[in-house]
Amino acid sequence: MLFRFGSAILLAVAISLIGIGLEKESLKLKRQVSRQHYQLEVLINAHAKMKLATQRAGSPGQVLNSIERGELDVKSNRRPASTNRREMPLLQWHLNRSSKANKK
Amino acid sequence: MHSENSKFQISWRTWSLIILVVLSWIVISGRLIFLQYIGHRQFASVVARQQVCKEKIPARPGDILDRNGRLLATTIVTNSLYMIPQELKNQKNVSEVCTVLSINQEYFQDRLKKNQDKMFLWVKRRLTDDELAGVRSLNLPDKAWGFRQEYRRKYPQGALAAHALGLRDIDGKGQGGIEEAFDHLICGQNGHRFLVRDAHGRVIEVRNDAREAARNGETLVVTLDSIIQLYAERELESILEKWRPKSACAIVMDVKTCEVLALASVPTFNLNHPENISETAWKNTAIASIYEPGSTLKPFIVAAALERGLLKTEEQFDCERGEYQMGKRLLHDHHSYGMLSVTDILVKSSNIGMAKIGERLTNAGLYEAVTAFGFGQKTGVQLPGELTGIVRPLEKWNIYSTGSIPMGQEIAVTPIQLITAHVALANQGKLLNPRLIRDQIDHNYYPRSHEEPEQVRPLVSTPVISEEVADWLVSVPMVETVSRGTGMKAQLEGYTVFGKTGTAQKPDPQTGRYSSQLHVSSFICGAPAHDPRVLVLVVVNEPSVGPNHYGGTIAGPPAAEILNKTLMYLRVPFDKSGQKPLRQMTDRPRNALR
Repeated sequence: MLFRFGSAILLAVAISLIGIGLEKESLKLKRQVSRQHYQLEVLINAHAKMKLATQRAGSPGQVLNSIERGELDVKSNRRPASTNRREMPLLQWHLNRSSKANKK
Repeated sequence: MHSENSKFQISWRTWSLIILVVLSWIVISGRLIFLQYIGHRQFASVVARQQVCKEKIPARPGDILDRNGRLLATTIVTNSLYMIPQELKNQKNVSEVCTVLSINQEYFQDRLKKNQDKMFLWVKRRLTDDELAGVRSLNLPDKAWGFRQEYRRKYPQGALAAHALGLRDIDGKGQGGIEEAFDHLICGQNGHRFLVRDAHGRVIEVRNDAREAARNGETLVVTLDSIIQLYAERELESILEKWRPKSACAIVMDVKTCEVLALASVPTFNLNHPENISETAWKNTAIASIYEPGSTLKPFIVAAALERGLLKTEEQFDCERGEYQMGKRLLHDHHSYGMLSVTDILVKSSNIGMAKIGERLTNAGLYEAVTAFGFGQKTGVQLPGELTGIVRPLEKWNIYSTGSIPMGQEIAVTPIQLITAHVALANQGKLLNPRLIRDQIDHNYYPRSHEEPEQVRPLVSTPVISEEVADWLVSVPMVETVSRGTGMKAQLEGYTVFGKTGTAQKPDPQTGRYSSQLHVSSFICGAPAHDPRVLVLVVVNEPSVGPNHYGGTIAGPPAAEILNKTLMYLRVPFDKSGQKPLRQMTDRPRNALR
């Protein structure tokens, strides 16, 4: 009788402990997910800031001003440099549809 | 016996205690039943309200890219400083914050006094990195001061294409330009999540089960090209400096697709400093200003007359030596002309010759011609604030109109209407809607689907005149206008340019009559004439310096300069005979921009 009672108590305690463990694990995973969401936002923002800085540094206005001030050693052409269509692959990485439309 | 009875007799004190305990249990049980069953919902909602709070997840507005993927507008996260006036203990902090953030201290103290019993007050929104570092170095107490993150719109190209882009206000709402017209796409859709807080207000759990993710805004690819836009804006700046006009605008269009490659207007403003925008600078004169087009309208009248068979290209007109009585009105030409061909009427911009063509068309024909080319109605350029121009109802036209309309008076147009109509001439008589949006992609720059989104679908093309008439007008009179007529200053070295000058008198606000001092000078040109690729319109409103304000003198050279640079940039081959073939030029040094 005593053995059965003890077993039942032990079983109940074990189930409770497993439940608590699972709950803890679940909370830990939730925290991780939240942290990853936050980190993703931080990364997206860092990416946006870097993109902004690079685009600002390489903006046509900046480059043209540098040419006019003589900081860049380039001359302007008096005739078209080529008849090939101008491509800017670095800027068009993901603009697939527009590029396809142009090729057509 | 007595002693036995007294042994089992319970004293009144004991009874009192029992009753007290029982009553207490009844009260406690009653209270528990009330809390658990009767008032359960009410208390549960109070607890939920105190513990769980709904937090908005703001959607990130989409970027705007030019046709080559250059970034025109993007969004970054910034911190905004707020304070809790009730918790403010140290006034010294206020003066320190005002110094760091360059806020007028008196003004802020006044605000603080008015809101001293409030739990929230914005100090400054969207701090710069320097301001943020400055505030952080003050080590302000957390109880009274705090930061909130907000999105801030940034325009890496500064003032470039300011009117076409527009901006987003402090609340993230699009104002003017593409930002306003496509606000519903760019702004995205806010999401929300539920946070569980403890008794101290600290977040202990983010409930992801009831979370609705924010849908970030769409990224738009516009038809503008930053470099062509820059060329246009720089020419406008030089016009401002040289001729000191009230305003000026320039539009560059791709003839084949009617895509707007550049749309510039001065005075302009820096998109990153909206606080400095004046009312005059805010107006996009390319779409929201109207003027009498003058001679730039003449090709359309000739086109309509040719199309109806009322005029032949080889016909000659007597231009009456510069004076022509039309009803009660005496018409004048700038110079005295005798017999002029149709080509010469356009080349020399003869008002009398045009009035005679107008007489053949009659008012009904003239009205039909101007409305067919889209005057008096919006072009649908997808920008807010576009005006329709003014084409009075036909019933109000009279004999004056028969003389005035063919010379571009009694009608008011917007620059975008005029260039769109000229694109129809250059595009073999097909009238297209101007396009400003090229594509719509997601925030990672991937196309949403393989199908073109609704706002970038191919446009309606309406044939307004025949190919033969359009080709003749472009390749003969408009080419000769540049080679030997009023537009001679727009000639280019390697390209056959076609164009038309316009010098419209403006009414004097004091007398109500046409002024001899106030003009709108314009010039529209394109090239190469045999297969037009690009069209440029420059409109200069009220130039105030110089002996004359002819369109060919004021607007011609800058328009030609923009055209030349654009053609070179787009690598359009030279079309004039006598030029070296392109393959012999491949050893030329390459330029970063051309």
